[in-house]
Amino acid sequence: MTDNKDIIQAIRENAEQGFRLLMAKYKEPIYWHIRRLVVSHDDAQDATQETFVRIFRSFEQYSGEGSFQAWIFRIATNEALRLLGRNQGKTMLSLEDNVTATLTMRADDYYDYSNVEVVKLQKAILALPAKQQLAFNLRYYDDLSYKEIAAVTDSTEATVKANYHFAKEKIIKYMNSNDI
Amino acid sequence: MEQNFDFSKIGKQMPYTVPDGFFDELEENVMREVKAQPAKKNKAKTIRMAIRAALAVAACLALFLVVKKNLPQGNNTITDDFDNVELAFSNLSTEDQDYLLEVYQEEQFMDNVLNESNYEESI
Repeated sequence: MTDNKDIIQAIRENAEQGFRLLMAKYKEPIYWHIRRLVVSHDDAQDATQETFVRIFRSFEQYSGEGSFQAWIFRIATNEALRLLGRNQGKTMLSLEDNVTATLTMRADDYYDYSNVEVVKLQKAILALPAKQQLAFNLRYYDDLSYKEIAAVTDSTEATVKANYHFAKEKIIKYMNSNDI
Repeated sequence: MEQNFDFSKIGKQMPYTVPDGFFDELEENVMREVKAQPAKKNKAKTIRMAIRAALAVAACLALFLVVKKNLPQGNNTITDDFDNVELAFSNLSTEDQDYLLEVYQEEQFMDNVLNESNYEESI
């Protein structure tokens, strides 16, 4: 997988070729990050597409300082919150808003409910407050460092660690319960 | 807290899927969109450059006025407005000069002013 420094250099030398490298590395992680937040495939597709268009158009605004990966995930998170907000009749949800998406049993081609434990875990995550949800997802699924997650959520490392810890505790409690 | 639940049993599995070929299609959709509307110039950077250039011009003009005021009347040979501007311009850094030239070359308003002035000279 191409290193972020090489991707940045490639974009500066040839925007289109560089951007293809960026998409090769990030299109799947970013889609899944957004999908975990918005749940619906169609919404995730829209927000992912918008995320990459925004990254392309605002690339010059990346200062070179701080994690490039965190910068990308921050744009993606904002797009997901914007979409969730739009669905609720708001301009954008903030991380202080306590509601994200819900996982509902739907007859849809793009869900797989065959593994009950997997579905239950996702329900547990979606029941978390937004900041805990983000801290958990970005750490557990995307392997971001606490520092990077703090940059994504505009928070501190200590707060992110606390959010991750509380999220894990709540998930374990939910998974050990008889709730489905 | 009792921790019966083991994250490693589920790992990163999710109850979500995507259509076949989705990620290839996604990439092409994005590339099509960004090609249709290429990246904009960094507006903030341009504004900072413009402010810096404007400040530099103002500083040069102020310097010129101070020098002019302190010169003996008989030695003050710089009377033409064009000379004043040229002097101020020559005191700018090469970078600021290039920036001003670039800005004014793109500036339709300045083109109109120059055209009017050429027209007045010709009559």
